[in-house]
Amino acid sequence: MKKFTYYFKVWWMMSKNSFLTMLNHRIGVFVFMTGKILRFVFFGVFIYFLLSKIDTLAGYSFHQTLFFFLTFNLIDVISQFLYREAYRFRGLIVTGNFDLVLIKPINALFRSLMGGADILDFFTIPPLIGIICYVGIQLGPTTGQVILYILLVLNGLVIATAFHIAVLSMGIITLEIDHTIMIYRDLTNLGKLPIDIYKQPIKGILTYLIPVGTMITLPAKVIMGLVTPISIAASFALGVLMIVLSLKFWNLALKKYTSASS
Amino acid sequence: MKKYFSIFKISFAQEFAYRVNFIMWRVRNVLQILLVFFLWSAVYTNPQTELFGYNREKILTYVFGIFILRALVLSSGSVDIAGEIARGDLTNYLLKPINYIKYWFTRGISSKVLNLGFATVEILILYFFLKPEFFIQTNPLQLLFFLSAVILAVVMFFSLLVLVNFITFWLPEGGWASQFLIIVIFTEFLSGAVFPIDILPQTIQNILYSLPFPYLLFFPLQIYLGKLSTQATLQGLAISGMWMTVLIVAMRRMWASGIKKYSAVGR
Amino acid sequence: MDKAIIVDHLVKNFEVVERKKGITGVISSFVSPKKKTVRALREISFSIKPGELVAFIGPNGAGKTTTLKVLSGLLYPTSGFTQVLGFDPWKRNPKFLKDISLVMGQKNQLWWDLPAIETLELNKAIYEIPERTYKESLNELVNMLDVKKLLNIQVRRLSLGQRMRLELVAALIHKPKMLFLDEPTIGLDVVAQARMRDFIFEYNKQQGATILLTSHNMDDVINLAKRVIVIDKGKILFDGDLRELVSRYAKEKIIKVYLSKESDIKQLEKIGKVKKIDFPQAVLVVPRATAAAAAAELLHHFPVADLTIEEEPVDEIIRKVFSGEVKVAKMK
Repeated sequence: MKKFTYYFKVWWMMSKNSFLTMLNHRIGVFVFMTGKILRFVFFGVFIYFLLSKIDTLAGYSFHQTLFFFLTFNLIDVISQFLYREAYRFRGLIVTGNFDLVLIKPINALFRSLMGGADILDFFTIPPLIGIICYVGIQLGPTTGQVILYILLVLNGLVIATAFHIAVLSMGIITLEIDHTIMIYRDLTNLGKLPIDIYKQPIKGILTYLIPVGTMITLPAKVIMGLVTPISIAASFALGVLMIVLSLKFWNLALKKYTSASS
Repeated sequence: MKKYFSIFKISFAQEFAYRVNFIMWRVRNVLQILLVFFLWSAVYTNPQTELFGYNREKILTYVFGIFILRALVLSSGSVDIAGEIARGDLTNYLLKPINYIKYWFTRGISSKVLNLGFATVEILILYFFLKPEFFIQTNPLQLLFFLSAVILAVVMFFSLLVLVNFITFWLPEGGWASQFLIIVIFTEFLSGAVFPIDILPQTIQNILYSLPFPYLLFFPLQIYLGKLSTQATLQGLAISGMWMTVLIVAMRRMWASGIKKYSAVGR
Repeated sequence: MDKAIIVDHLVKNFEVVERKKGITGVISSFVSPKKKTVRALREISFSIKPGELVAFIGPNGAGKTTTLKVLSGLLYPTSGFTQVLGFDPWKRNPKFLKDISLVMGQKNQLWWDLPAIETLELNKAIYEIPERTYKESLNELVNMLDVKKLLNIQVRRLSLGQRMRLELVAALIHKPKMLFLDEPTIGLDVVAQARMRDFIFEYNKQQGATILLTSHNMDDVINLAKRVIVIDKGKILFDGDLRELVSRYAKEKIIKVYLSKESDIKQLEKIGKVKKIDFPQAVLVVPRATAAAAAAELLHHFPVADLTIEEEPVDEIIRKVFSGEVKVAKMK
């Protein structure tokens, strides 16, 4: 418990610093935020116009398709809120300042992952949850399904965390790629729409190997009553497995760390 | 002219030197097109579907066309003009006997050549895996119009990209944020990269056609697919040309006044 | 605790992938990468007592910084025994980390857009420093480094020197018992270098902290360290008092003469190696043992206006040690 308070206090202070830093770049932040909101609105409007002409997309109605998209956004926005610092990780490694992170008595992974919470993303979460509730209710789920949905969204966040840890680990091992995190974003973006639209083997890969489907499509499907208990159990297991593997990967990466030369 | 060719070669070599990085960039491009491809494949599962003026063949050709055109029109390498202005590195270029805009244009072309080369190979690979039906345009006049539209699009996008970067002269952080907003978001959605513009209601379409974005990808592809009358094509080319001119002029003006401001700061 | 640092037969190797040229090179590096082992540290051993101030000197790439990084837990040792303050650095026990600090010239931890005080408050939370101790340390450090007025200014608005002093405050606010300094004076002007050295000296004296610094700036070494460890190509060449290094390996002395009349170089060369001749000054290098006799010869046979006998400069000696001109017997 004491450890938790310690980490929470440090997280709070780092997030506060992050927010203060943002205030120094008001214009850029504002324009950036506008872009993100528009991205959301544009795609939503697109789904609306598309599904007003065709009745179903891969068997899903407008509300269902929209709900997949909204679930995607929820997981995407929460992980960007928490893990914004991961986007700056490469800078830490390249400048060698990562050494100064490692030297501190606070877990280096925690600092590298969560040291720069994005408060603006945080503000978009409540309205997003509002919209999700509004659209979700129209799909008429039972209370049990709603609870499962929340649990599976949390599981999706666990998977997202595992992904981020893997990306950071890769960033330590090789400096060759400067946009690993963006590759992750491209992969999860495939989950904007239900992964049923993809043919095999891509669909299989997205369900089990790079489990975008388990992360995003599955929770949404629960609300629509389309999931078997086995799939639900398997997805939780997958979440646990991925976290364990990614943490091992991180520890391995630290052993291989060579540190930028002076 | 010769010095620009050297720039071309060096730029090409540099992108190629960071091979793994470049290959991952290509992987990203492929991933981005997957969503679009499968989305429209699902909409037009039934080959008989006629919707928004497309059938399965035409829409899948559209998607592949987007993939190629993105490599040709939208890829300009990593244009870090905003960074160079903000960091003061621009001074190095001002001291050299080189036109800054032409320099970046040359680098852009070099990037396009590299990207186009890879995109062509990837298209062949994707074709074997996805086996879409393809529509081949045979009318030479249409092809000529198509090529003209593409050239206009290339110059138009370049000017837009550069002038957005020039915002940095006045707003140090405004550059990259505006780049995100205009080049990434607006271009992504309003150029037809995710969906063809004609799925939107007519009123909205008309508004969009007065903006430069549809002329980057959507308009050239419409010509290729043979969906426009000659009159509409010529009209479109005229608007495209007009936007290109406007953007070039704006870019030049911004450069002129931006440079004055930059020198005044005394970097 | 008996020893602050114990290092025994420490080995650190780096695996580097050899890149071949051209497209075929890329593919073959992908398929069967050719790895090269860089032996950064080849079985080094030494120990340091609490409160000592030791300088690691050596040419670039010698392994000084690598040693520091292994001792601070940043790098994973390939083999050998390492113990710092009773801990295995690699395990990165928070208790261990709370007692050490690493300062590297160009690397920073201060948040760029915020006043330094924000980073300091954050460090207070991270190191779990009690409020009173924090205030005391802050006052001490701020006065020692003369940065009181700078605490509330955005870091990005400060000059390099000011930033580096504040970085020091941030690095020392938790009163570490063990301080690793990597090239602490690099990039600083002469005045700032002297200030930094004074600070390090004072800190070592007042706090009793063990300080291990690396440098290839000779002034750092001469003015700060009594004990030096000379390292080159991953091996320790000398470990002991600096004066001993000098006296043991300074085989030559320098005689500077001011001549009142132009003289024949050939005649001068009979007495000693002429290093420089620029009338009226001539500089000769002679073996230590015969320095006095050589001086007498000069006074006797040449029109000498003035004459001095000097030691070889320390950095010359060390340079000769590195380049192997002077053979160093391994010190135990």
